[in-house]
Amino acid sequence: MILEQLINGLTLGSIYAIVALGYTLVFGVLGIINMAHGEIFMFGAFMGVVITHTLQLPLALAFVVAIAVTALLGLFLELLALRPLRGKKGVSHLAPLISTIGVSIFLENLAHHFFGAGNRPFNTSFSEISVQIGSVTIYAVQLVIFAIAVLLMVGLSFWLSKTKAGKALRACAENLEAASLLGVNTKKMIMMTVVIASAMGGIAGILVGMAFNSVTPQMGLTMGLKGLAIIILGGMGSVRGAMAGGLILGLSETMIVVFGESGYRDAIAFIAIIVILLVRPQGLFGQAAPEARR
Amino acid sequence: MRKSYKGLLSIFAIMALLLASACSGGNETSGDQSGDAAKDGAVSAKVGVISWLTGAGAGYGEAITNGLKLANKEIKEQGKVDIELITEDSAGKQEQALSSAQKLMNSENVSAIIGPTLSTEMKVVGPEADLNGVPIMGTSTTAAGIPQIGDYVFRDSIPESLAIPASIEKAIEKYDVKKVAILYGNDDVFTKSGYDTMKKVAEDKGLEILTTETFQKGQADYNAQLTKIKNTQPDLILCSALYNEGAVIMDQARKMGIDVPFVGGNGFNSPEVIKIAGDAADGLIVATPWFAGKDDQKVQDFVAKYKEEYGKEPDQFAAQAYDGMYLLANAIEKAGSDDRDAIRDALAETEGFEGILGEMSFDEEGDIVMEPTVLTIKEGKFQLFE
Amino acid sequence: MLAEIINPYYLQVLSFILINIILGVSIYITLSTGQLSLGHAGFMSIGAYTSAILTLNYDFPLVVGVILGALLAGIVGILIGIPTLRLQGVYLAIATLGFGEVVRVLFINWESLTQGAIGISSIPHFGRELVTGLRDTGFTADMIGIRNNQLISLLVFIILLVITVLLITFFVRQNHSRVGRAFAAIKMDENAAEAMGINITYYKVLAFAQGAMVAGFAGALYAHVTAYISPSDFAYHRAVEILIFAVFGGSEVIWGPIFGATFLTAMPELLREVSEYRYMIYGIILVAMMAFRPQGLIDHEMIYKIKSRKKKKKKVEDDKKERNRHGVGS
Repeated sequence: MILEQLINGLTLGSIYAIVALGYTLVFGVLGIINMAHGEIFMFGAFMGVVITHTLQLPLALAFVVAIAVTALLGLFLELLALRPLRGKKGVSHLAPLISTIGVSIFLENLAHHFFGAGNRPFNTSFSEISVQIGSVTIYAVQLVIFAIAVLLMVGLSFWLSKTKAGKALRACAENLEAASLLGVNTKKMIMMTVVIASAMGGIAGILVGMAFNSVTPQMGLTMGLKGLAIIILGGMGSVRGAMAGGLILGLSETMIVVFGESGYRDAIAFIAIIVILLVRPQGLFGQAAPEARR
Repeated sequence: MRKSYKGLLSIFAIMALLLASACSGGNETSGDQSGDAAKDGAVSAKVGVISWLTGAGAGYGEAITNGLKLANKEIKEQGKVDIELITEDSAGKQEQALSSAQKLMNSENVSAIIGPTLSTEMKVVGPEADLNGVPIMGTSTTAAGIPQIGDYVFRDSIPESLAIPASIEKAIEKYDVKKVAILYGNDDVFTKSGYDTMKKVAEDKGLEILTTETFQKGQADYNAQLTKIKNTQPDLILCSALYNEGAVIMDQARKMGIDVPFVGGNGFNSPEVIKIAGDAADGLIVATPWFAGKDDQKVQDFVAKYKEEYGKEPDQFAAQAYDGMYLLANAIEKAGSDDRDAIRDALAETEGFEGILGEMSFDEEGDIVMEPTVLTIKEGKFQLFE
Repeated sequence: MLAEIINPYYLQVLSFILINIILGVSIYITLSTGQLSLGHAGFMSIGAYTSAILTLNYDFPLVVGVILGALLAGIVGILIGIPTLRLQGVYLAIATLGFGEVVRVLFINWESLTQGAIGISSIPHFGRELVTGLRDTGFTADMIGIRNNQLISLLVFIILLVITVLLITFFVRQNHSRVGRAFAAIKMDENAAEAMGINITYYKVLAFAQGAMVAGFAGALYAHVTAYISPSDFAYHRAVEILIFAVFGGSEVIWGPIFGATFLTAMPELLREVSEYRYMIYGIILVAMMAFRPQGLIDHEMIYKIKSRKKKKKKVEDDKKERNRHGVGS
């Protein structure tokens, strides 16, 4: 039973980690907490529903459409809610936070209108495939989710540290003005960051749909707040931190159920936020960020 | 100077935005004045309706107001009572429901109110209506303690304390249940209220409760709880969930290899469960006041008329509203006037009313007394559970 | 005469506007030192639950319950404030967001005290309690020619109005005091304020605790006006709603959130069709305000203009008088 629960926790944790990767990328480059990330993730999941259920098209196409739609949402987010605030005098550092909260509640209610409040089925034959090892059943979906999470993490780390675009991105993260002076097209880099982060949200959305067959407009808020907790736990802007934080949260949420306090399951993430911010504001893997403390 | 222009501009932009969205909204709050004009000798009365017409639960409000309108049309044709329905939207919020009630009671001077949709709204609106001496009847409020608010508060929706024991009893009979596991949503008033009843019934029947697990709104992953339940090997799972979460729980449970039957509360009872969970929904047992497949001319007539009028199958909310309208019309006819107290007294005396839900009476507290039907999902369809 | 004017429906809406104004003021105070709190729904619930439980289970008088509710929210505000105020900007916002959710989960699970998700019903109602009290002294609604429910709504409204006016007066005066200037200095530049000898920790905790207390106060009032509360009334959406009052109306001057709360509460009542799109509009407001007018609709400049226009008018009138006098003299 413990083994089964570990698998449950790892599956959940991997999804959390992918959601958190999107957060951490945006924060790492822009220093912005994108509160709309959860809702973009939710739209990705709904695209999966529309493709596989409503239109009865193959799952692979669902991935493509979800990535495209969430990337587009990311583009709109950057153009409408983030860029107008950048470099403007007298705009407080809280402005992007408030602006993205605005986008998040707008998208949540838009989904209500488009898709209704109800849960949407996400039926693909793929989610039925499983292997029996002893008394433990492992689903192909669970393996795929774990693999995609690891791949994304490794890919992102590699891309950031080894490729030219990644280096430019890190330069932007270090100092936007200096990067611009050195010939980096910062506008393009920022846009690319937000779009890639959003597309990762879209991938996570499809994976949740496949794993749990549960898609509702409210899932964006729940998942978004969890993702937020994870990057604070793992360290803002840290790719490894997002992965580790996701797995820790997924496993501990599963374990609290095992030990019989399922009512407090949702509280773990928030207690983690408070404790980490007070004890170690830079997070487990973050470099000490001077601006985190006064 | 330029700056102040910019400021003004932004103010105007926002105003225009608000206006634009105001105009695009549907006009659902107008009173229902269709149907024949009042005939001579008919008792006329104004009845207020508070319903959830916009937002996440607009579907419930739509079914309820459709049921009410259909019943009112028929009542007008019969010519004994002439009721004008005045509908207000509560948006599922307590504050707005209270404001709506105040508007109906004081600006519109209604003789009685039907609604609001949610038990939480009723807990705020009920005391105010009771204080003002306006009879109020919920047609979809199932939580405990609603009719106990006051003498003027009624409901024709069967409470969980009536529905759940009926379904658990039948399940015990059929499957020889000894051990149960309970799973419920602990942050929702309906599912929590359902759980309280389930726990009490399970204890009364001497069932062994193996484990009690909870989940929260917006959760997608129930595997941790279900794995735990699976390992305790129950004969039956008592699951207090709304159909949205409930269907997903059944789906994940069946995939995991849990094949015991589920007993659900009132919120679990919806054709949507089959739509969402598909084959996995087989084995759900619920007690319901409303069964569209009932072999009764009245029921079949209602289903046919409703479909003709609105192009949809009626659900329990429409059916309960339909019967609620008739119950109230009957009381107004008996009272012989639109006097609020006379209507309350007549409503309280209702006994053996034959509606599409069955034979209905009110007890001393104003709660409905009737026999629920126990249904189960078999081969993707709701069927009588025997 | 009076019976025709008093309509409980309008009074009800006005009462909710007043409660929301108090909430708007609560977030304004916290914002006036440049701190953003997303935990005000949590403080509100602490006030609401404390007062509801004390008056319902322990027969405390209503006034005492409300005051204790506000005080407890304030104390929790201090306890949360001292450690979290080392955090800045977004980190503080996230920490308070976490706090609000933890409080909600706690109220859901602490069933022996709060009845969990079922919520607490039949909480003593302001108006109803007062009317019963008045009846004992021999005063009834008939004596001034109105119905009982009219009297109840009227009393609720008057009480809330008096409370709101007192609160606003207090904070307007505070703004013009040493404390208010310290708040403003901290908001402008923390380091400069510190260099000038302002004890910023003290003032930040003070602002945070004041905000928490006022939010708790509003929560307690809310509990006794609706007579029913449940944890879902104080979720994340409530915190965002409170924030919108200040973002829309403006957070520079106290009149901003007051205007924001009034306008945004009255809007769905006046235009019922809007309520369906309420949250979508809220979302658009947040984005649009940040892009075009981050200080909110009402800012210092606007207040200054209104004031100077009044002064100008007065001056012109004075001049006229002066001239007339001279004219007469010559």
